Amino acid sequence: MSAQTRQMLLSLLVALAIVAIAIAVVTAQFGPTSAAELEAREDRLRERQELQEQRLEQREELREERQER
Amino acid sequence: MVTGDLVARTQQVEGLVEDLTRGNVTEVKVVLASVVLALACYQLVLIAVGYGKLRPSFLESGPASKAHRAAGDTILVLVVIVALMCISYFEVEDDEALHVASAIGLLVALALKVAVLRFFHGLGRFLPYLGMAVFALLAVTWLTSAGSFLADS
Repeated sequence: MSAQTRQMLLSLLVALAIVAIAIAVVTAQFGPTSAAELEAREDRLRERQELQEQRLEQREELREERQER
Repeated sequence: MVTGDLVARTQQVEGLVEDLTRGNVTEVKVVLASVVLALACYQLVLIAVGYGKLRPSFLESGPASKAHRAAGDTILVLVVIVALMCISYFEVEDDEALHVASAIGLLVALALKVAVLRFFHGLGRFLPYLGMAVFALLAVTWLTSAGSFLADS
């Protein structure tokens, strides 16, 4: 491999490193605000709310049963 | 009829863009635009070596110019992809006038640069000015969109 080819390949490797660093820095800025992450967070919240509603309903049913007795 | 086809096709492209980015269209656009800006900064260094303005011992002007051309081709592809994402997915709004103007200027400057490189070799003396114009327009386009988005986030 000639010196010029080696220099060019190294220059392109530096370019690749710059691309990788740019992606890492910008992605780190976003944090957990990506649409997929937000969607997952909303799903978890919805599940929790549904569970709370179920518990409330069960309690009300139990209360009604007690009152009937 | 034609309008209906156009609307259907636009919706198809929107769906494709959303599928490819898994719903993170803005984020992917910001990452790609930032990669382009980072590469553009590196391009300035490479072409400074290519024109002999910088003379590092580890890099000669020939390889620097070739690397500049390769990175430039990559930048061109990325700019076209980001521009297509912008046009197909985002609507043009009044308060984005500077972004739209600089983006159109960037595409024109890039087209001129490619035309000079491929067809009008006699106009090669204008390449440094075109290159600087491309870099300046790229910086303004990034600052008015991705830069402000990153500052907000």
